[in-house]
Amino acid sequence: MGLLNNTLPDNKLVGAVDTAVGWGRKSSVWPMTFGIACCAIEMMAVFASTFDLDRFGAGIPRATPRQSDLIIVPGTVNAKMAVRVKRLYDQMAEPRYVIAMGACVCGGGPYVKWGYNTVKGVHKIIPVDIFVPGCPPRPEALIDGILKLREKIGREAVFARREKANAEMTARYQV
Amino acid sequence: MNEQQLHQKLRATGLAGIGELDESACDPFVVVEGDSLVEVCTFLRDDSETRMEMCHNVTATEREGSIEVAYHLCSYEHHHSLTLKVLLPKPEGDLTDWHPSVPSIAGVYTSANWHEREQWDLLGVRFSDHPDHRRILLPEEWIGHPLRKDYVYPSSHGGIPLELDAVPLYERDETTEETPSEPRPAGTPLNQPPSEPSKRPHAGGKAPPAPEKKAPKAKKEGDA
Repeated sequence: MGLLNNTLPDNKLVGAVDTAVGWGRKSSVWPMTFGIACCAIEMMAVFASTFDLDRFGAGIPRATPRQSDLIIVPGTVNAKMAVRVKRLYDQMAEPRYVIAMGACVCGGGPYVKWGYNTVKGVHKIIPVDIFVPGCPPRPEALIDGILKLREKIGREAVFARREKANAEMTARYQV
Repeated sequence: MNEQQLHQKLRATGLAGIGELDESACDPFVVVEGDSLVEVCTFLRDDSETRMEMCHNVTATEREGSIEVAYHLCSYEHHHSLTLKVLLPKPEGDLTDWHPSVPSIAGVYTSANWHEREQWDLLGVRFSDHPDHRRILLPEEWIGHPLRKDYVYPSSHGGIPLELDAVPLYERDETTEETPSEPRPAGTPLNQPPSEPSKRPHAGGKAPPAPEKKAPKAKKEGDA
């Protein structure tokens, strides 16, 4: 999308294209099966039948980051794990979205004071779209976060430049 | 066998370095010298009357004058347990490069392998003749042993920031210059009480408001 970035005029036709493409993107957000810690249990509950995620189009979790649109980061991110999370995020293809699930990834959680090894919030290493607080958040809360993400995706302009934040972070932290 | 009988049996073997039984703790423990630790554990595991084939915990604690390494042994066959402790006295001065050494019992009890790796990782206790002496929980290139009393928390590790934000994300105003917000004074409640009582029924344990009695409507002829 590099050639067409920010070059399209802002008229009704482009707006209609944005709406159509946005509807297509938000209706099939395929997450990655990426569970770090306790919040992963609640994430599994969301994927399962009681709090079915498939009815939102997000029910085909991909095991590989190359094929997934969304990475839900559930669970405490250690210094050891932060390198891997960053690597997985870098391997995802654009457009890619991040949901930070749980208190640990939103801002450190219970480890905020005495955690010598934890990253206090995964927004320090990857750009996050939606924060879902809770310890762990209820499955309904995660579904609420995914619905808000759908709204956010639907509002995007199709050829917008999203990756500037990620490039800055990579340059700043060398992760 | 209770702990006193186990202690008597240990004393009867004639091995050196077996101390007194300390019953003040909730798990009575025997202080053992590091040099005879492997022989004591082998005896406790193999003797038919003690048969302590399970070492379910190896842990270390830093106290004021020493680091104590505790071994919790128990027996499935005889349903008894015993705790052994090895005391490693702390030297004077800077403890950053001090790594006291204890013989490893990973050859006697396989479960002690990872437990001893954890104590090396977190407290810096060396286990001589350990088959796989490296960190288990922290990254390999981590410097320092975090559970020591004089440990200084790092602000970052290899470029990964480990500190809390000075200003939380939700309080940040991207357009203005960043100034750290005041911390919440001690004693202020986290949740503010609601400014008006809740309109939900049964809120606060009170009965719902009684419905107002309306005058009965005159029934029309054609109503069902």
